[in-house]
Amino acid sequence: MPVPLSRLLFESQSVRFRYLLAVLACVLALGVALPLRDVLDLANAVMIFLLAVVLVASRLGRGPAVVASLACVALFDFFFVPPRFSLAISHGQYLVTFLVMSAVSLLIGQLTAGQRRQAYDAGHRESITRALYDLAKRLAGARQPGEVDRALRDFIGKQLGAGAWLLLPDADGAPQAESLAAGTLGTLDMQIGRMVLDSGRVIESGASERSGRRRHFLPLAGAGEVCGVLIVSLAEDAIDELPLLEALTSLAATAVERLHFVAAAQSAQLEAESERLRSSILSALSHDVRTPLTALYGMADSLAMQHEVLPDEAHELAAAIRDQALRVNGMVDKLLDMARLQSGRVSLRREWQSIEEVVGSSLQLLGPAMARHPVRTSGLGELPLVQFDAVLLERVFCNLFENAAKYAPPDTPVQVSARAGAELLEVQVRSGGDGFPPDRLEQVFELFERGGSEGPVAGIGVGLAICRSIVEVHGGTIRAFNPPEGGGCVAFTLPLGTPPAIDVEALESGVLP
Amino acid sequence: MSGPQILVVEDERQIRRVVRSALESEGCRVQEADSCRQALIEAGHCRPDLVILDLGLPDTDGAHFVQDFRSWSSAPVLVLSARSTEHDKIDVLDAGADDYLTKPFSIGELQARVRALLRRGRANADAEAAQVSFGDVEVDFSRRLVSRQGEAVKLTPIEYRLLAVLLAHAGQVMTHRQLLREVWGTASSDSNHYLRIYVGHLRHKLESDPAQPRHFLTETGVGYRFQL
Repeated sequence: MPVPLSRLLFESQSVRFRYLLAVLACVLALGVALPLRDVLDLANAVMIFLLAVVLVASRLGRGPAVVASLACVALFDFFFVPPRFSLAISHGQYLVTFLVMSAVSLLIGQLTAGQRRQAYDAGHRESITRALYDLAKRLAGARQPGEVDRALRDFIGKQLGAGAWLLLPDADGAPQAESLAAGTLGTLDMQIGRMVLDSGRVIESGASERSGRRRHFLPLAGAGEVCGVLIVSLAEDAIDELPLLEALTSLAATAVERLHFVAAAQSAQLEAESERLRSSILSALSHDVRTPLTALYGMADSLAMQHEVLPDEAHELAAAIRDQALRVNGMVDKLLDMARLQSGRVSLRREWQSIEEVVGSSLQLLGPAMARHPVRTSGLGELPLVQFDAVLLERVFCNLFENAAKYAPPDTPVQVSARAGAELLEVQVRSGGDGFPPDRLEQVFELFERGGSEGPVAGIGVGLAICRSIVEVHGGTIRAFNPPEGGGCVAFTLPLGTPPAIDVEALESGVLP
Repeated sequence: MSGPQILVVEDERQIRRVVRSALESEGCRVQEADSCRQALIEAGHCRPDLVILDLGLPDTDGAHFVQDFRSWSSAPVLVLSARSTEHDKIDVLDAGADDYLTKPFSIGELQARVRALLRRGRANADAEAAQVSFGDVEVDFSRRLVSRQGEAVKLTPIEYRLLAVLLAHAGQVMTHRQLLREVWGTASSDSNHYLRIYVGHLRHKLESDPAQPRHFLTETGVGYRFQL
């Protein structure tokens, strides 16, 4: 690309070339003044040289101006001041000429240098402002933390010539580097990053011996807590850039925070939608399966009631169909329970209630299924109220009782006992029979796991898995063991909490607290 | 025909058929409807002595129907519902339904519930009984005396009031809210545990095995039912 002459003349950065230009300007002035030597007064000839010095000072800076003033004085002295062609000064007043010329050149050089400096600064500021503006635009459009990181690193690299890294906290609050160039960050950097994340304070590392750079750990403080850390590796003399870095961190914080909120909103929406879908599928399934089962059960039951019309065999068959329909219904209930519990979000309707009452309602629900297994309870009446979801806990007891009835020999009792400790309430359900396989006490709570896998007892192995899920959402634990006196036992705990105070006097006077 | 008139509101034809045959074998006259809209028209027409209402109707929820029906009739309403719909059950019971039956239900159970509700409907018309007995318990309302196996049982005023309310609605599901209203005059959902404590007291004083009650029955997540 051809370089314009004016630029070559006035804006060249080469120092030596500028001095050469200064000297050339003086020679040019001499070239103009010399032919006019006989016409012009000395005072006017000086003006030509002065013009050259002013031009040099305004265009080429202070140094060349001083050189130009010296050169012009020398040339003027040599060619114009008598005695000519010697540097000797015959008259003291030429000393004034020399001094004025020097002073003017210095003064103008100083002024123009200041002006140039200001112009340069303004330009620089403008370019930084424009870059910041571009950065803000890029950050506003960023959809991934990686894009924020890239935009920041581009900006800092270009404007400050410095390296930069963006650390964002992961789910556990530990800082994670966003960029691929994170290899240059050491464990110490990560530790400092963590400190900055936790404290929200700026930390500066010591200057590196090799590069002389310091790493500045700047917290990205959003509206809430610190949402990330920007690490900038700055040279020792780049202290002036700290205000710029401040602007940068606030831009970055806004961007990171925005991404954070966007992500949170998106995942909340997604979760709500999949939750809605799941529960509508479950309830549709539940309705669609139960409706024909209800009809089937009812029809078989009304057939089974026709004692007079049907022969005995058909009567028995009808009763068997009815019982099988009821069993299928029980399995559907369990599978749907499990599906609901496994979908993750169970909304508990916790209320303060008594274990005794739930045991009673579970037995009432099971009805004739427990006919051959008398249930004995002990210690249930003395328990404090516990906070739980009665509908779910009823499922736990129903499953435990059903299991006991299924695996224990007929006419052996089922024992329910409970004990309140300091923080936990433990309920035990014991039944007769062989108990649990001793090597599978843990596995019996897994889904589709059955106590006696090849045994004759029907079931799908969901009951105990449901029990575990329900107990765990209540903050309790469940275990199975075989007590020394024989049989099997399932024990589960529930946190006790502080039951509400009961003001008997107020209640008895008809006032509900 | 002179048997009681029953309106069956159910959108599933096969279930309607089962219910109809169960009721007709009890000597009832049965009218059917497959939506709430049709049910309201039919109810106006046949003036039923009892309504059997499915909760899963396609056009509107059961609570609306019950509210509408209650504005002109006090005939009992028996609700058929699926499991795990406590909220719907509470809504429809609070709206004025009397009892519910969870699907699938046995014919015998359905007939027993219908008989109990029809009996109560008639009993309401008569003067209230001054004496009631259940199990080994005798309650004499005129003298405010409760005795078990011939021995007097001491009840606090609130326990007595709760017992009276439950007995007055025997065979009927009372939601927590309804019971709190009847006993204390106000109700809020976080006072349910007071009710549990008092029902517990009644069970310990009047049931032979409080953990396996035969009269003070729990309708889990919904309320209580007293059974004679």
